[in-house]
Amino acid sequence: MMNRMRSFRTYGAIFRMRRRMETQYRGAVLGGVICQVFFGLVLIAVYRALYAGNPQHMALSAITTYVWLQQAFFRMLLASDPDLMEKIRTGAIAYDLCRPLSLYGYYYARILAQKWMGSLLRALPMILLAILLPPGWELAAPASWAAMGCAAAALLIGLCCVSAMENITMAFTMRTLDPRGVQAMMNLLMMTFSGNILPLTLFPDRWQRVITLMPYAQLLDAPIRLYTGEYALGEAGRILAIQAGWTVILIGIGAYLWRRNQRRLIIQGG
Amino acid sequence: MDTLRLYRKSMAMLLKSQMQYPASFLMQTLAQLVMESGELMAVILLVDRFDHLNQWTAGNLYFFFGLMSMTFYLTECFARGITGAFSGMVRSGQLDTLLLRPRGVLTQVLCSAVDPRRITCIAVGAFSFGLGSRLSGVAWTAGKALIILESVFCGFWLIMGLFMIEAILCIHSVKSIELANALTYGGRSACEYPIDTFPRPLRLLFTVIAPFALVMHVPAAWVLGKPLFGWPGWTAAVTPTAGIILFGIMYLLFQRAMRFYRSTGS
Repeated sequence: MMNRMRSFRTYGAIFRMRRRMETQYRGAVLGGVICQVFFGLVLIAVYRALYAGNPQHMALSAITTYVWLQQAFFRMLLASDPDLMEKIRTGAIAYDLCRPLSLYGYYYARILAQKWMGSLLRALPMILLAILLPPGWELAAPASWAAMGCAAAALLIGLCCVSAMENITMAFTMRTLDPRGVQAMMNLLMMTFSGNILPLTLFPDRWQRVITLMPYAQLLDAPIRLYTGEYALGEAGRILAIQAGWTVILIGIGAYLWRRNQRRLIIQGG
Repeated sequence: MDTLRLYRKSMAMLLKSQMQYPASFLMQTLAQLVMESGELMAVILLVDRFDHLNQWTAGNLYFFFGLMSMTFYLTECFARGITGAFSGMVRSGQLDTLLLRPRGVLTQVLCSAVDPRRITCIAVGAFSFGLGSRLSGVAWTAGKALIILESVFCGFWLIMGLFMIEAILCIHSVKSIELANALTYGGRSACEYPIDTFPRPLRLLFTVIAPFALVMHVPAAWVLGKPLFGWPGWTAAVTPTAGIILFGIMYLLFQRAMRFYRSTGS
């Protein structure tokens, strides 16, 4: 029991260290935010023009809100740890193997910190900006305070879920030396089915029934739908349970893959 | 002519070296295919839900999307030196070696990289373009084909010119400037849709500053038989040259910036 407590403290320290590192490049963050805002404006302009010719049962403000929240937390979705790839390629990963920690936990803490801080740094200024935009373009208020609370909780679970997914990708990465192909595929799946390329609410209605159950929809789509009130408060318990379920399953798969990798690991370089 | 020969030779050399790892190449090319198909799928799904965008039908939208994809990825393929590799060259000090050789810097940069993986993106673009022209019932004539060729050609220079903004900023401040992405990748994402989709500020941006509208939308709309802004037919042949003019301006600025270049290397 003592042991376990201590290792949780260690992962906490790794988390804090990584989090601090993320805050170092504020200039790059500003450039990224402005770019992201621009992309958001372009997307909303397209949806506005589409809506003008053919109104939908879903309010336009729900779409603009969806776009802004997607853009704000965009960083959460992207694969974030170029260091590790380099480590695998050069063989420096051997050092990590020497640490008296579970490799899975070590990387999970790092990824979680990067995604958490990376997206928070970008999301706050973007959300502020998006609230100030003129009506018809803006980030609308949440459906209710309770919806806001549920959405925040869902976002946190989503963050844990996406970190678990990335750790699985990492585990696959270790098997090939040139993971760019596999990673591009994973990224595409992520961008499409998490609603970044096109809001999931605009997919054909019949597809949505399946897509919203997939793990990708648990990252940002579920929190956003709770925020806009697309999912009623009564459904919140069920949604959070689906999210948590996927998170547990994905962490289980990831931990298993990492354990197996460690047994058959070949270190590169000399 | 000598420069062209040099470029062709470099391309052949680079291609050969890239083909040395066929499995990796194949994987990445496939990944590009999937990525670009994803973009096309988004347009198809939107059309499925909304049916049309202003006066543009589904076929028209595929046509615009295809024209943009083909042009953009042709540029990314053959001008990889400018669109992707340049900032790295400045940061690593590799650019210094180019200054020593008896050729223009821009020529050497262009000769230094090629990205054949983009071929699948170009193919997706061509597919979308073909589908769009079929659905829109375009009756092809030599004149229309020429206008489209002109548009792609001028678009190539336009996009390269826009990427040169990033290169110029990069020379001045070493750090790669993400802001310029709003014009290049932002321009691609926005101008997959015809210009009249957008409100006035964005319309001005993509007509005057980054003239995608003049280079692609005016000729494409004319070919589709729905001239933009009601402009007469001859404008379709004239406006694409805006791309070459933009490149010319950027070329001069690039030469100027090179005079301020200070090496980072040691």
